[in-house]
Amino acid sequence: MLPPFALERPDRLEDALALIGDDCLPYCGGTELLMAMKLNVLRPSCLVDLKGIAALARVEWRGDSLVIGGAVRHASLAADAEISRSLAVLTVVEQRVGNARVRTQGSIGGNLCFAEPRSDVATLLAALGASITLASSTGQRRIAITDFVLGAYETVREPTELLVEVLVPSARLKSGVYLKHQYAERPTVGVALVREGENGVWRLAVGAVGDVPIVIEVSSLDEIDAEAVADMTDPIEDISGGVDYKQHLVAVYVRRAVQAAAEDLGA
Amino acid sequence: MPDLEPGQTHLHAGRSVLRPDLIEKVTGAAQYCVDIRRSGMLHAKIVRSRRAHARIASIDTSAARAMSGVVAVIVASDLAGLFARFGHIVPDHEILASGKVRYYGEPVAIVVADTEAAASDALDYVDVDYEDLPAVMSAEEALAPGAPLVHEEQHRRVDVDSLSPVETGADQGELRTSNVAHEATLEWGDVDSVWPVAAAVVENRMHYPMLYAYAMEPYNAVASFDEGRLEVDSTAQHPFMVRDDLARIFSLPLAAVTVRAPYLGGGYGSKSYTKVEPLAAVASWRTGRPVKLVLDVEESIYTTRADSAEVHVRSAFDDQGHILAREIDIVMDSGAYADNSPLVVAKSVNRSFGPYRVPNLRVRGRSVYTNTSPASSYRGFGAPQGVLAGETNLEQAADRLGIDSAELRRRNLVRPGEEILHGKRGIDADLPADLEMVVGALREHAPEDQSWFASAMACSASDAGAFPVSTATVRVQADGSVIVLSGSTEMGQGSRSALAQIAAEELRVELRVVTVRQSDTGATAYERTTGASRTTTLTGLALQRACQDALSKLRSMAAEVKGCSADEIAPSPAGFALPGGDTISYGEVVRSWFGAAAGEVTGIGLLRREGATAKMPPFWEIGMIGVGCRIDPATGAIAVEQLVTVGDVGFAINPQAVEAQDLGAATQGLGCALFEELLYDGPQLMNPNIVDYRVPRMRDLPGRIDAMLAERRDGVGPYGAKGSGEGALNPIAAAVATAVARVVGRWPDRVPLTPERVWRLINETGPDDTTGDRSSPREG
Repeated sequence: MLPPFALERPDRLEDALALIGDDCLPYCGGTELLMAMKLNVLRPSCLVDLKGIAALARVEWRGDSLVIGGAVRHASLAADAEISRSLAVLTVVEQRVGNARVRTQGSIGGNLCFAEPRSDVATLLAALGASITLASSTGQRRIAITDFVLGAYETVREPTELLVEVLVPSARLKSGVYLKHQYAERPTVGVALVREGENGVWRLAVGAVGDVPIVIEVSSLDEIDAEAVADMTDPIEDISGGVDYKQHLVAVYVRRAVQAAAEDLGA
Repeated sequence: MPDLEPGQTHLHAGRSVLRPDLIEKVTGAAQYCVDIRRSGMLHAKIVRSRRAHARIASIDTSAARAMSGVVAVIVASDLAGLFARFGHIVPDHEILASGKVRYYGEPVAIVVADTEAAASDALDYVDVDYEDLPAVMSAEEALAPGAPLVHEEQHRRVDVDSLSPVETGADQGELRTSNVAHEATLEWGDVDSVWPVAAAVVENRMHYPMLYAYAMEPYNAVASFDEGRLEVDSTAQHPFMVRDDLARIFSLPLAAVTVRAPYLGGGYGSKSYTKVEPLAAVASWRTGRPVKLVLDVEESIYTTRADSAEVHVRSAFDDQGHILAREIDIVMDSGAYADNSPLVVAKSVNRSFGPYRVPNLRVRGRSVYTNTSPASSYRGFGAPQGVLAGETNLEQAADRLGIDSAELRRRNLVRPGEEILHGKRGIDADLPADLEMVVGALREHAPEDQSWFASAMACSASDAGAFPVSTATVRVQADGSVIVLSGSTEMGQGSRSALAQIAAEELRVELRVVTVRQSDTGATAYERTTGASRTTTLTGLALQRACQDALSKLRSMAAEVKGCSADEIAPSPAGFALPGGDTISYGEVVRSWFGAAAGEVTGIGLLRREGATAKMPPFWEIGMIGVGCRIDPATGAIAVEQLVTVGDVGFAINPQAVEAQDLGAATQGLGCALFEELLYDGPQLMNPNIVDYRVPRMRDLPGRIDAMLAERRDGVGPYGAKGSGEGALNPIAAAVATAVARVVGRWPDRVPLTPERVWRLINETGPDDTTGDRSSPREG
């Protein structure tokens, strides 16, 4: 059951930042946080509801770059017409994140800050070369997504910091595919393959299988050796598969992603 | 009232009517047990064992009792003076562990507090000092020579067939010598003489997993003990049997204990018999206030699961494919307490060899105690475990004999009326005809692309209905409306509408004037259980009799008030036709007879083992399934592209509901075939939650579903009906395993067939050894 807590509902970002700390946690969709509280893994005395802060709920384009507020929900991203036109791979991922309840309630910021190793969004953002902005009452900093996530459920975020935005640079120039093997509630393997521009580099990210996504940059699809990529992964052995099976799946899905990219993107 | 159309024989029965509970369930207005509050109510939380098997050296509750909001902390020694155990077959199940704990998750103490949060917080402050004992975590370990005993004492067993109650008072049992909780056997002919002369002997072994019958509503109860009376609202499929257990615990008259079961948020057998009610009841008894106890999903998983099973089948055939003999050995891991597992294993024995002519048979089933969570009833009741091994054995025989497996079944299936179990009711179904329906549907809709695709079928017959003890009451009101009272629980299966349809049919009234009230031991009619697919058939028969009783009384009363003979009165809609052409409604009969705008007429219907229901089982429940599966060879993932169900129900009182039951049962069975398995890692489960324990979802539904009904009016129930709701589950794992074997060319030895297992099956090297032990690496 949910233990008792105080609920703060600021409508200004500064007020939220002033409250957030060790014992006062940011709360948006609650899809991970409330479960952790029900299990007594987290026991904050106070939650700061971010849903009333307009600055965190915006999706905007700065030139070719896409900026997504930390409290934007998966369902909003999945339904965003401009994203669907300009960065369809994000739409595809957001349409199939978690389940209907997670998509309706859960935010992109919460998803990233919980650093669930099997996050589809984190894997795609790694391939997209995205960065995030952390703000606190004393300032802010921007960090590449690959540097933000340290390991399973572990990020560089300080307790007083809030993930205020996700930035996908040159998003309009990027195109990609995302494929996943999902048998249980969360994917076993997720593979994102993204190209920047007609003749740009390819970035391959393999997630879900290990603690953090691995990212490889190549100049052509021919350079991707699926077996070699599989060998680079360090799979977590669990009830969805043993190490050998998961590495096999990585190779299968890398090959399928390469094939899909070649077909879909005319590479 | 609907008019009879050509070909229709009934006004209400046989129509897909709107269920009366549908709207309130969809809108969320329906009251479930978890919604019930009482004034002055306290909240209980359970301190659970963190060991699989350990002696309890001491329990210190002082720190917990000192916490804010805590009213009481109850341990086993506080229950002195009570009969502090339950179990309707073997009364071995302690309300709170005393002396030792037998599984991780076993209740050790109850914390009762003003709020749920206060009770929850105090759990960690109950200090239990354990001394570890060697544990047996599987049936194999439990059966090994010299294995530690889960139970030292042999409790007196109840004779299930005679239904004699558990004797109260002291039952100093004998000491046990093994972990076998129950053994059931069935034998005829001489199997041993057959093996040497058979044209083919086919042997296989299948493992059926531990399952959780995931219900959206976890176990919960509110109990109120006051002045020698006990009232309990709970998630009980069988409120009358729970009442009997509670009355024994407190030495109360049955009439002093009331158990009510409102709508259940899913049961599937997991809510049969007593679960959390004694915990809530003793907490109320100690504190003198109403106590509510709500388990979470993890606690529910540790409360009851399905028996896992290791089943070994050996069958002999002549060169024409006729079965000469079958020998089957079933070992079930029943966990720490017997609960209903002795009956599950006994039914598994009856259901394991299939609805075939088997001239020589030997089946042995053992239910084994282990230091795991207790197993009990699960939809299908022993059939899925046995049928998985029995039907895949038959398919392997078809391969060996070079006979198409449908043809092999045609040659062996019992014909209508033929006995499956010697001396029992012959089969009240036409299995060869059902088989052709499946074969036809699979053939007709076979996909063009046959790569990595195979279809398969499987069938089963279950001796269903359980012991026929049912009652029903109808109360015809002064306005002619009708109240039906039944002790059968509505848990989503649609009994509320089926019973209303039967009453409306019998009384010739509109469906909307019938209200069905269920499952209150103090107010509704008695019903032994809501299980074994029995409600439509057995409660339905009792209800028909209750309606006839009411009609007979109303007719006599009409004759009295109209001054004519009862023989001169004929049936008419919602009333009677009188001599001379007038009609009189039931309401007018009631009002005229009582001489006021008041009164009611009550009809009673009683059902026992006599007449049409003398022979056991009351009916056979048929499972006849076809699946079409495609495998992704790179990942091992199975897509079930086609599902064929045949609901051989005699007569469908609500056809839409029957089809939905078949689809629900088949889907639940697909869960076991493809995804579901509780896995132990050391003393505790790896996946006691519904994130890691994967149940079927909408996306998993087969692309093509052919849900067919076979209505031959051959059942003993109303209008020729038989039970439904479990049959489609029983054979489906066998059908999926067969389809996988047809695609891969190797026989799996277990389900669920997860992508990883199928991939390993595809990539195994070496001979296809169907009898070898080929467990995948991470099974504990």
